Amino acid sequence: MALLEVEDLAVTFHRRGTEPVRAVDGVSFTVAEGQVVGLVGESGCGKSVTSLALMGLLAKRGVTVTGSARFEEADLLQMSPSSMRDMRGARMAMIFQDPLSSLNPVVPIGLQVTEVLQRHRELRGDKARAEAADLLDRVGIPDPTRRLKEYPHQLSGGMRQRALIAMAVACRPRLLIADEPTTALDVTIQAQILELLKDLVAEEGTALIMITHDLGVVAGLCDEINVMYAGRVVEAASRRPLFARPVHPYSVGLLASIPRLDAPRGEKLTPIPGSVRDNIAWADGCAFAPRCTHAVEACVEGPPELTRTYTGHAYRCVNPVSREEAEAVAAPAVLPTPSLTEATPSEEESS
Amino acid sequence: MSAKTDRIDRLAELTAARADEGGHGLWYEAFKRLRRNPMAIAGAVIVLVFVLIAILARVLAPYEPDAQTWLGETSTATMTFPGARAGNLLGVDHLGRDMLSRLLIGSQQSLLVGVVATVLGFSAGALLGGVSGACLGLFGTAGRRVDAVLMRFNDMALAVPSLLLAVSVATLLGQSLITVMIAVGVTQVPVFARLLRGSMLAQSHSDYVMASTALGVRKSRIVLNHILPNSLGPVLVQVTLSLATAIIEAAGLSFLGLGGVDAAHPEWGFMLAESQQYLSGALRFAVYPATAIIVTALGFTLLGEALREALDPKLRK
Amino acid sequence: MNLLSVRDLKVHFPIRRGVLFDRVVGHVYAVDGVSLDVARGQTYGLVGESGCGKTTLGRALLRLVPITSGQVLFDGTDLAALSSEGMRKERRRLQMVFQDPMSSLDPRQNVESILSEGLATHNMIGDRKARRAHIRKTLDAVGLPSNALERYPHEFSGGQRQRIGIARALVLEPDVIIADEPVSALDVSVQAQVINLMEEIQEELSLTYVVIAHDLAVVRHISDVVGVMYLGGLVEEAPSDVLYVSPKHPYTKALMSAVPVPDPEVEESRERVLLRGDLPSPANPPAGCRFHTRCPWRQETRCDTERPELRVVGEGHKVACHWAEKIEAGEIGVREDAVVTG
Repeated sequence: MALLEVEDLAVTFHRRGTEPVRAVDGVSFTVAEGQVVGLVGESGCGKSVTSLALMGLLAKRGVTVTGSARFEEADLLQMSPSSMRDMRGARMAMIFQDPLSSLNPVVPIGLQVTEVLQRHRELRGDKARAEAADLLDRVGIPDPTRRLKEYPHQLSGGMRQRALIAMAVACRPRLLIADEPTTALDVTIQAQILELLKDLVAEEGTALIMITHDLGVVAGLCDEINVMYAGRVVEAASRRPLFARPVHPYSVGLLASIPRLDAPRGEKLTPIPGSVRDNIAWADGCAFAPRCTHAVEACVEGPPELTRTYTGHAYRCVNPVSREEAEAVAAPAVLPTPSLTEATPSEEESS
Repeated sequence: MSAKTDRIDRLAELTAARADEGGHGLWYEAFKRLRRNPMAIAGAVIVLVFVLIAILARVLAPYEPDAQTWLGETSTATMTFPGARAGNLLGVDHLGRDMLSRLLIGSQQSLLVGVVATVLGFSAGALLGGVSGACLGLFGTAGRRVDAVLMRFNDMALAVPSLLLAVSVATLLGQSLITVMIAVGVTQVPVFARLLRGSMLAQSHSDYVMASTALGVRKSRIVLNHILPNSLGPVLVQVTLSLATAIIEAAGLSFLGLGGVDAAHPEWGFMLAESQQYLSGALRFAVYPATAIIVTALGFTLLGEALREALDPKLRK
Repeated sequence: MNLLSVRDLKVHFPIRRGVLFDRVVGHVYAVDGVSLDVARGQTYGLVGESGCGKTTLGRALLRLVPITSGQVLFDGTDLAALSSEGMRKERRRLQMVFQDPMSSLDPRQNVESILSEGLATHNMIGDRKARRAHIRKTLDAVGLPSNALERYPHEFSGGQRQRIGIARALVLEPDVIIADEPVSALDVSVQAQVINLMEEIQEELSLTYVVIAHDLAVVRHISDVVGVMYLGGLVEEAPSDVLYVSPKHPYTKALMSAVPVPDPEVEESRERVLLRGDLPSPANPPAGCRFHTRCPWRQETRCDTERPELRVVGEGHKVACHWAEKIEAGEIGVREDAVVTG
């Protein structure tokens, strides 16, 4: 039984004097209890708007949201604002990209955490403070009782993100949505935060929707991955099949265009030509067709349907990438990964 | 194959052609945004009507503003003044003069004081702020000192309430129209100086200034060609908003009797002052000039606010 | 041989406070004693996390920030000793590509004006027709259509804007290009376009690059030699492949193990060093080895008191760690709770 079932979610923005923009254009995916689901794509692919729509955080004016999102027997998109408020922070919670602007700068961290506890768990006074200190401790903030009195600007970026995560998990939500939670952080801090999220998911059985542009992050974290492009899911699969045998030309193109840390020097990158400005409307065909090296006539005869194989691998493409080509991209030549705990081989051997 | 690529190209072009005509600078884009904003249209219409009236006042006014033609029909003792009627659309004032004519001619004074005072305030303020900003950007430690001194004086001027400053200047220089212009202009100087300097400071920290430095462009050229033009947006907004303030302040000074007003050159603020004694009998004496001041100031404010929105870099795509 | 050499370069920014006139109350030790050599035609990659001083170092090479002490030797001349006018003239030969292609282009200049500004400044190609032809040729080299000339920066996509930024540097026919995070503001699918473009241009014009980035994968891909910075100093320098296969400095090991790889097999099997805590403030750096506060290989006393020199440990491989050999030989082990697998 799925915890969250998103069906045909579409979000359209209307702005005075401009054409309406369909930021999310029919997105469907499911999240099972305790599962980590990745939404991957570049800026403008609609991944963040999807999460905001699920949390009911989009502005009411000038935005049309259609489709359905069943979460624990209720449709999030039909819910009244007040029951949505009860839901947010308690049953589902969100972690944002920029921890500094997501925290109130003039209120101490402690108060911001206890506020959540008060609102949803009716904890007050010393009880709430003790619980808040406990939470900060669990997300790895050292000296939590002192930190409770500090203001967001006194914390480092990594600590702020931990504080935000503490607030998000304060009520043990069933679903956590993390929107680029590590993009603003340095890579060593990112590793800490990802480790923390992994632990939380494993210990609490919380389901997590991970929104990111970084294929490396999803490769280490997600069970199921949805690759999004121009407001639609173009490929969806479990982690291993997606990376071992990508099918959609966009997924393949992304993998071929990013430099891998373990690639030997001299390997060429194969970029995806053009930019998202070259996209065509989904109604006319595949939005990616103008940039696609595999485009055929059928690509522009209408929007491509979602094809689902018996293994559960789904893709939206009329001319998918062949097995040989995909495997060549998915398994490039790599350098041996050095061990950290054992003695490293001397340089003569390795070079 | 070629049919496919053609079709893709065509579709892509259609998509790209949505807003992309190409070759338009930021001012043009701002103008396009301005044109779409009803607030800007309303403001522009009011301002345009006001300017036209001021220019054509002598032609539009049905009578001489100081002709006491209907003095016989008025009585200050019984508070009877002829109201709106066929000959005098807005009625007659306490000295038997045509209200409409006086209001129309009064717009000239407001426009003149507003424009001259703002130009004065803008040029002196921009000079001060520009020098300060340029010193800060160009001449290292010594420049920082110059800037610090200039700005501390500026802050002091800024701390004096503007009407008080205007009154002081007006009493110092005696009553005349020029005095009002200078008085109102002086109060605008520190505002413009602070604004331009702050704006230049912000621009001088921007990446493209560093990029120009890296190109080897001379500092003086960077200030003139990059920093200054990019700092003018907020100043332009302030010019528009200042016109509103200047008109109100000029009216205020005349109201206090510090304007150089004579009977032949009526002024809205002075008309308000005159109306005070007759408020119980003829509220309209105050209502007409007050409305004129409010609507005109509103027009400039609307335009200024719309301009601020149009020039806001955050709204750029 | 070495086109660009940096000798014990220091850039300390004064921290000012004061009511009327500012007083110096301390310094941010942004770059604190860096020496490195860049050979002609080579790409030197500088990598490190925010606050490590890599951007300041890049700017100091062009004297876009005041140099506190040390030398920047470019083709035999010490840039740090030049007059400001002398430096201004020298800038033609050392150009820079910036991180954010939107903010580093003047929004009120069209492309032609952007590209001709440098030419005018250095009195290159006085003839208008010839200048225009040169600009068109450069535009073509970076893959922009010539109808881009009349357009303004906001009318281009991110990738195209970065091409304009590269063209602006290229039009002056420099010897060295310093690229500060040239692709980090771009979308993943576009990054490769710009990386490939930079590589092609380098090959064609035999340019020397200094590429500064936080993304180790990008830096390793594009660079011949990679220098790793931490808190104002170089901690390790090695040829690109050697750095991955046998990192010697504990920080490099940790940094490398933290970079996610888009490959579940690798992600699941490899070990990761989790560093504790955050980067100390560069205004108040720790004594001794700058990394000792977070280092899982730290040894008592020597690490806290003595700042390790950058020393040669192999062919083109330098490291600033007292214990590099012992760690490599397995004599000094990593603190066990710092390593996680998968």
